[in-house]
Amino acid sequence: MTPLKSFEKDYPLIDSNFQSFCVSHGIFSVEDFLLHDLDALIAFADSHSTSQTLKQGIDQLLSIIDALHPPLLNGLQLLEDAQRNKHILSTGCEGIDALLGGGLCEGQLTELVGSSSSGKTQACLLSASTVAKHESSVIYLDTGNSFSPQRIAHFVGQSSGYVFDNQADHILRKVLDRIICYSVFDIYQMFDVLHQLKINLRSEVVKSNQHVRLLIVDSISSLITPILGGSGPQGHALMVSAGFLLKKLAHEHNIAVLVTNHVVGGEDGVSKPALGESWKSVPHVRLLLSRDCGSNVCNISMLKHPSKVRYLIRKFLYGVVYVSQYHDASGWAASSAMYL
Amino acid sequence: MEVGMLPISSSKRGKLLAAGYTTLDAIARVSPTHLARDIDVSDGEALEILNLATKASALERPNGTHSAVVGGGQTAWDMLNDEKFSSYITTSCVDLDNILGGGIKCTEVTEIGGVPGIGKTQIGIQLAVNVQIPREYGGLGGKAIYIDTEGSFMVERVQQVAEACIEDMAEYSHHFHKDFQTCDVKMHHNNIFENIFYFRVCSYTEQIALINYLDKFVTENKDVKIIVVDSVTFHFRQDFDDMPLRTRLLGEMALNLMKLAKRFCLAVVMLNQVTTKCIEGSFQLTLALGDSWSHSCTNRIILFWNGNERYAFIDKSPSLKAASAPYSVTTRGIRNSTSSCKRIKMM
Repeated sequence: MTPLKSFEKDYPLIDSNFQSFCVSHGIFSVEDFLLHDLDALIAFADSHSTSQTLKQGIDQLLSIIDALHPPLLNGLQLLEDAQRNKHILSTGCEGIDALLGGGLCEGQLTELVGSSSSGKTQACLLSASTVAKHESSVIYLDTGNSFSPQRIAHFVGQSSGYVFDNQADHILRKVLDRIICYSVFDIYQMFDVLHQLKINLRSEVVKSNQHVRLLIVDSISSLITPILGGSGPQGHALMVSAGFLLKKLAHEHNIAVLVTNHVVGGEDGVSKPALGESWKSVPHVRLLLSRDCGSNVCNISMLKHPSKVRYLIRKFLYGVVYVSQYHDASGWAASSAMYL
Repeated sequence: MEVGMLPISSSKRGKLLAAGYTTLDAIARVSPTHLARDIDVSDGEALEILNLATKASALERPNGTHSAVVGGGQTAWDMLNDEKFSSYITTSCVDLDNILGGGIKCTEVTEIGGVPGIGKTQIGIQLAVNVQIPREYGGLGGKAIYIDTEGSFMVERVQQVAEACIEDMAEYSHHFHKDFQTCDVKMHHNNIFENIFYFRVCSYTEQIALINYLDKFVTENKDVKIIVVDSVTFHFRQDFDDMPLRTRLLGEMALNLMKLAKRFCLAVVMLNQVTTKCIEGSFQLTLALGDSWSHSCTNRIILFWNGNERYAFIDKSPSLKAASAPYSVTTRGIRNSTSSCKRIKMM
């Protein structure tokens, strides 16, 4: 939504006279102008006393709009861009990586769906620690006070096999400093954080060791559920714009976005992902997590992927076994190698 | 950022759009009275919208601090260090404390559920008393908020638990501070009663209103360290036809409780009832309020009978391993299971 006023400085034709003419037709921004019937506008401009300059103004605005269209990219350039900028980030769990063909893809929105205690948060924490270990920053939005730095420290310590001494403490600190957690409790707060992130990413050349590679929202559904349905379509609009904003961030700044969603009971007793049909089209990749009752084995299956065949099912052992010592080798990372 | 993302009601948003205010900049430039006239709302409401809009458009401008990518966050390292000082509320049952990593943790929302008679309310009462154990005795010296929806809070029972707690503290000080003469426990059970703020809630609207009000209440009573909701389910399980509405209300309530827990560094304990769920043809006991609700707590503890012994099982936690421990309900409150059998059962 670019207001017309912002052009005033660079384009003398779009002066206050032209602006007030536009305002009298309900045009405040470029979007309004695009939506307006141009022929009618020109007809009105004809009857105006300063019709010549007004028409020039309209032409000027049209040419600005022409210049605003996004640059054309051909397939080859897209491929190059994908190869150069869209890296694949390992989640740290071999079972999930194998299913995804390497891991989370930058520029894409990946969604983990699953019932309570199916391992969604664990997958998020593991991915965050794995990515942070590779010299990239991670932004973690936590809605359920379930971000556990202790668990992350455990993942970091365990997979690199450090002995817990000063040296390891130093490395641990470096890794943990790259994970930034925000507690958000409503969707507006999430918008605030995402907008700030967008602006900061755009304005500053983020130092290479601060490059944000992964954005996690755990869970997006608990933010959206309270506003969805009920009084009018506003909740719906907010949900769609949240999805749009996440995808835009992912695409423009080469960030992998990971969100979690819960399941609801469907008509025939089979549970399905929450947030309904219009959210379904938002994530690029959708993974369903489930845990067999009474065991630590998690199943993961693919519901949606842009470049893979559906319904591959992998099993991985879920490291519910929590070990407090950092040098202990058991736990998720070790057991996930033994996926069935 | 657009008008659609401002935290205002949909009717006001509609009015703004209809009056031509599509950008935040456009709103931020007018005066409150002008805005009030344009969109036909009171001056106060217009001022509120203006404040929100200027706050949001201030975010648009990049700020000079380059230390963090976005302000307001905390790095995992800082949180790890904070966690070392985080406080726990003991359950008075050593086995249960052990699997919980020290007790019920502040800043987290813990849900405890089980069949009737298993001791949910007993745990609630025990925690409301234990939170007041003074710091000298390893406690928090805090106060408790008890939200009673079922009417099962028994003052006589609190007295028993409180007296037992004071006796235990006296014994503790006798053991460890033999040289101190002033170690007599100064607490009287009347103090314990004074520090439990009890709310009796009789409908779900009251429950929601109360939880919205708690933010203000806790701001005024900063030493509240635990909120017990007994039970969170009761009013939401009856006379509720509109299930989507229920999901929405519960979701919002859960987020409010999360916010309280985080902001004031207090523990929230929600007690829940059980229901049966059909999984692959067989019926199993799970906690009530459905699938969406199961996401609204940080930790989930399920209480169950194993033979004649009561057991607690950690069903969900981001940082604790799944484990179970026996406990018993005695006249003195929640205590270790007296039976010698310490078999750990995995569900």
